[in-house]
Amino acid sequence: MSVRRKGRFVGRFILALAAFSAVFPFLWTALNAFKNRVDIVTPTPLFFFTPTLDNFAYVLGRGSVFQGLTNSLVISGSAVAIGAILGLPAAYALARYPGKWAKDIQFFVLSLRFLPPVAVAIPLMVIWLELGLYDTRLSMIVTYTLLTLATVIWLSVPAFQRVPREVEEAARVDGYGPYAIFFRIALPIASRSLIGAIAFSFVLVWNEFLIALMLTTSDAKTLPIVASELTQLGRDVPWGILNASVVLLSIPPLLLIGILSGMLNSAFRRKN
Amino acid sequence: MSAIICSGVDKAYGSVKVIEDFNLAVADREFIVFLGPSGCGKSTLLRMIAGLEEISGGDVTIGGIRVNDLEPRERGVAMVFQNYALYPHMTIHDNIAFGLKRMKVPAAEIAERIRTVAATLGLEPYLERKPAALSGGQQQRVAIARAMIKTPEVFLFDEPLSNLDAKLRNHMRVEIARLHQSLKTTTIYVTHDQLEAMTLADRIVLMRAGAIEQVGTPAEIYGKPRTLFAAGFIGTPNMNFIDVTIAKGDGAGGNGGWVLESAGGRFTIEGARFALKPGAKAVLGIRPPDLRAVEPGSAGANLLAGTADLVEFHGNDALVSFLFGGIEIGAQVKATVCPRPGEAVCFAADEAHIHLFDKQSGLTLATD
Repeated sequence: MSVRRKGRFVGRFILALAAFSAVFPFLWTALNAFKNRVDIVTPTPLFFFTPTLDNFAYVLGRGSVFQGLTNSLVISGSAVAIGAILGLPAAYALARYPGKWAKDIQFFVLSLRFLPPVAVAIPLMVIWLELGLYDTRLSMIVTYTLLTLATVIWLSVPAFQRVPREVEEAARVDGYGPYAIFFRIALPIASRSLIGAIAFSFVLVWNEFLIALMLTTSDAKTLPIVASELTQLGRDVPWGILNASVVLLSIPPLLLIGILSGMLNSAFRRKN
Repeated sequence: MSAIICSGVDKAYGSVKVIEDFNLAVADREFIVFLGPSGCGKSTLLRMIAGLEEISGGDVTIGGIRVNDLEPRERGVAMVFQNYALYPHMTIHDNIAFGLKRMKVPAAEIAERIRTVAATLGLEPYLERKPAALSGGQQQRVAIARAMIKTPEVFLFDEPLSNLDAKLRNHMRVEIARLHQSLKTTTIYVTHDQLEAMTLADRIVLMRAGAIEQVGTPAEIYGKPRTLFAAGFIGTPNMNFIDVTIAKGDGAGGNGGWVLESAGGRFTIEGARFALKPGAKAVLGIRPPDLRAVEPGSAGANLLAGTADLVEFHGNDALVSFLFGGIEIGAQVKATVCPRPGEAVCFAADEAHIHLFDKQSGLTLATD
């Protein structure tokens, strides 16, 4: 075997190892979600077993999980929608009409994410308690919008800057005003990167734990909080149920990203 | 009527003035080319006429209407950009129709007009494609179609051919010339390519550092350059320049003519065409094709002799370079009689082809 082929073999082996170590935990989690308790705690790992849906049935059967799921969908969905509706035009304005303060505004937006969540959560808790909105979906939506707005703006400014200025100028010569240029030229051209920004901000709030822990107690609890509570069922760790809830928790972001990129692909294919 | 008049137009970015007191009258149906090196302000000026750049001072009128504060769409202009600036997410059809849709043209008429324009520019097979699927030349044709279909008062071209390869550029240049012949729309065309300017323009506006250097027909600018810069910028191969000192001639009779003393030798001229002062420093210019080959070793006035050190073959003719008084001189000769490197060469500079410029100001000394 030549040195070159040996090198390639070693390289492939290392890659395969890395890929395995990254993917296997997910696979194992998914498998365990379908196992009985006995199959999970057995000392020899089992790859072949009689699958059961008991874990999912238990998780979905609990009112708290279903409520958590609804809360998460409503809160994260609304926060991302508001973040996009307000954030995209803001990012476009910063990218295209940079005023004296554009740099400072951009930095301020990013600096919102510098603060440790705990430092933000405590004052917010007091504010919502005072306003009588503590542990409501509304307070959570407003709080999460702070996160999504900052993320959407920060990630969208470069996306809009990459839209060639001449193309927008061509639209101006074609008779279109700034709003038409934003909606019909800049948004579609930057859409690829913008969808990435929106998906990222969704994942960010969907997985958010600490702020949700401090701002909710029962009514507005999100799925990550509910899932974490499943570990406190007693000294006996309910592995199967935990794994099932992890799988359930991962589905909405995957769906969202799938739908968004699918939308994108079809939009581009249709025009071709 | 769509004459364009710029009077006292200024452009300043903060305290930096890029264009100062620009005055130009473009006649209706005229094809004007703004020519100049990069950074001379020609594109900025075009963008000010288009309405994409604010006018800092002075007035621009199109068809008698002051357009300083009007949006591009209210000026009746259409523009073709250097990098085409097509809408990447729309089909060619939609790219061309985009402007008409804004003008609320009925769908049936849009379809009809697109058919005509696409036929003129040979775009029918591509109407359903995206710009990315087209070659550079095709994309530029789409950009021209997009401008043409609006039947504008004024066409503005911003270096439209500079992204194309040489062959395609020649082809598109001819197409643009033909288009102007049939449409007769007032056109301003910006380029740094003198060949484009010479072949397309009714009149060339030669610019340098935000100011007009010379305005005239291509023949005027080529034949009677007003400044040293104009003489050097226009014409391929470049004009030869020789530093000379002017002195009165010592010939018999009242009119002794003039002597131009250079490092390589002296030139005697009658000088009737020029306003000359004894003792003044000047620059003598002569274009390579205007140098007349004579037998090496001939005696006489106004000869440039040397040893050929480089011969560039151009097909029909060749460019012979040689040193004359320490200056590299180029002479264009028929390829069939071209000397070999190392051979002695001699050329005569006839007075009719000599240009003289003031050394200090760079202005021509010609009086006509």
